[in-house]
Amino acid sequence: MIPVSLLEEVMYESMRRAAVYMPSDVTLFLQKALEKEHEPLAHEHLAATLRNADMAGKGKGLICADTGFPLYFITADQHTEIEGGFSSLWKAARSAVIRATEENFLRPTMVDPISRKNPGNNLGKAIPAIDLSFIDTDMHTGSLEIIAAPKGGGSEIFGTFYRMMYPADGREGILKFIYDSVIESCYAGKVCPPAIVGVGIGGTADICMHMAKKAAVLRPIGSRNTDKDTADMEMLLEKAFLDADIGPMGAKGTYAVMGVHIEKEVTHTAALPVAVNAQCCIGRRWKATVRDDLKVTYSGDFYE
Amino acid sequence: MNNTIIDLQLPLSPEQAGSLKLGDLVTVSGLMFTGRSRFHIRAVNEDIVPPLDFSTVNCFFHTGPVMRKTAQGWETVSIEPTSSIRFEKYSGQVIRKLGIRTLIGKTTMGPDTAAALKEVSGVHLSKIGICGNMLSNQVHKVIDVFFLDELGKTEATWLIEVEQFGPFFVDIDAHGRNYFSELKQLTESRKPEAYQNLHISADFEYTDVNG
Repeated sequence: MIPVSLLEEVMYESMRRAAVYMPSDVTLFLQKALEKEHEPLAHEHLAATLRNADMAGKGKGLICADTGFPLYFITADQHTEIEGGFSSLWKAARSAVIRATEENFLRPTMVDPISRKNPGNNLGKAIPAIDLSFIDTDMHTGSLEIIAAPKGGGSEIFGTFYRMMYPADGREGILKFIYDSVIESCYAGKVCPPAIVGVGIGGTADICMHMAKKAAVLRPIGSRNTDKDTADMEMLLEKAFLDADIGPMGAKGTYAVMGVHIEKEVTHTAALPVAVNAQCCIGRRWKATVRDDLKVTYSGDFYE
Repeated sequence: MNNTIIDLQLPLSPEQAGSLKLGDLVTVSGLMFTGRSRFHIRAVNEDIVPPLDFSTVNCFFHTGPVMRKTAQGWETVSIEPTSSIRFEKYSGQVIRKLGIRTLIGKTTMGPDTAAALKEVSGVHLSKIGICGNMLSNQVHKVIDVFFLDELGKTEATWLIEVEQFGPFFVDIDAHGRNYFSELKQLTESRKPEAYQNLHISADFEYTDVNG
């Protein structure tokens, strides 16, 4: 059984690491893009971002000062046991976020939407957000995987689009909506390109957006949807963005996008909902795994 | 793009502002104050501005820094420029009211800000990459803070002294030109070919369900 004290420590530590270390797939992409990006301003944007992440990793700041919305994506299996039951996850997340904010790994950024009052601790009723999924497997008996993802404002504010389309709009509508949304989000570097573009197609409005968010935040860069037709759309869009003459931080260049990740779900026979939710160029997320023997491992490598 | 970095002394003189070209790389040295949405809204709607002499503290840095309190006083942990474009509704009025000639932020600003900057002979400088840690190192001193209790650390106005702070690039010059709006014309011109490559027909229209 995973004790609450361990849970608090792991949720704090994964959030702290997410705030100071750049995940390996993001670093690799940015390094490769830096080699190929010949537009001088675009090149400088990438070089600065990598330097900044390097400094953060060495204890001299944060990957980005806008630590944004504190999000957790948690996966348990049928044997996972937590002291006090699963509601302890929410309690532990709150104490972890309070501590990370007090220690300046998270900026106090969450405010009341109407009064704009800032409680100073990044807490709300549903913030930090927890996405909890269960897998039914004999492979990961009793373990708990926690991914902390402080999602920056640039990506969430400027990189969120939703459109309810109709069956007649089809593939053309889907591709046009994604292309136009991403180009708009990259204008003047709003979304902090190169962006990881998450797309949800189908479901209800909230399922659709949630798919887009998870595709942007959790999928490793370069990964493909296992459905061939969906993967083809991902590749077609990635190619189109390379040719769009817009690059890092919205400057003239090549790499405005690190990857296009599309997920789909069944939907109403009358509907074709499409959602875009982007992640910014620092791709902040860090994973902790707590095994049933209470051994904890942390990792910024999402390829495994 | 010119790769030499020009260091600008703050407050920026109208002459020097006028000489800057789109894409120029610059650093700034001197005094600046910070603010974001709440600064703009309060300055315009409630006439609340920090008690500063804006003729000497004339550089408005759009940011919400991460600040740490130590025994010696406040220090920056990381200080990342925030998206200036969000303040477009009020920015022109703030520039005219306070006579601000240097804006620093992320992204760019719109036509009213560009017009206001032209009137006062000022520029908007946009950040290079994600750079909050490097900028934090270039903060020489945190001098004062205003509205901390009301607005919290992120929206408060911090008065800071910086040395060779940057680099940034000139995205709006003092003559009304904007790097990004000019680049947008290029990106827009690429769209028909992109649609073709995505197999979207030229006359495609979304289904209209509102008659």
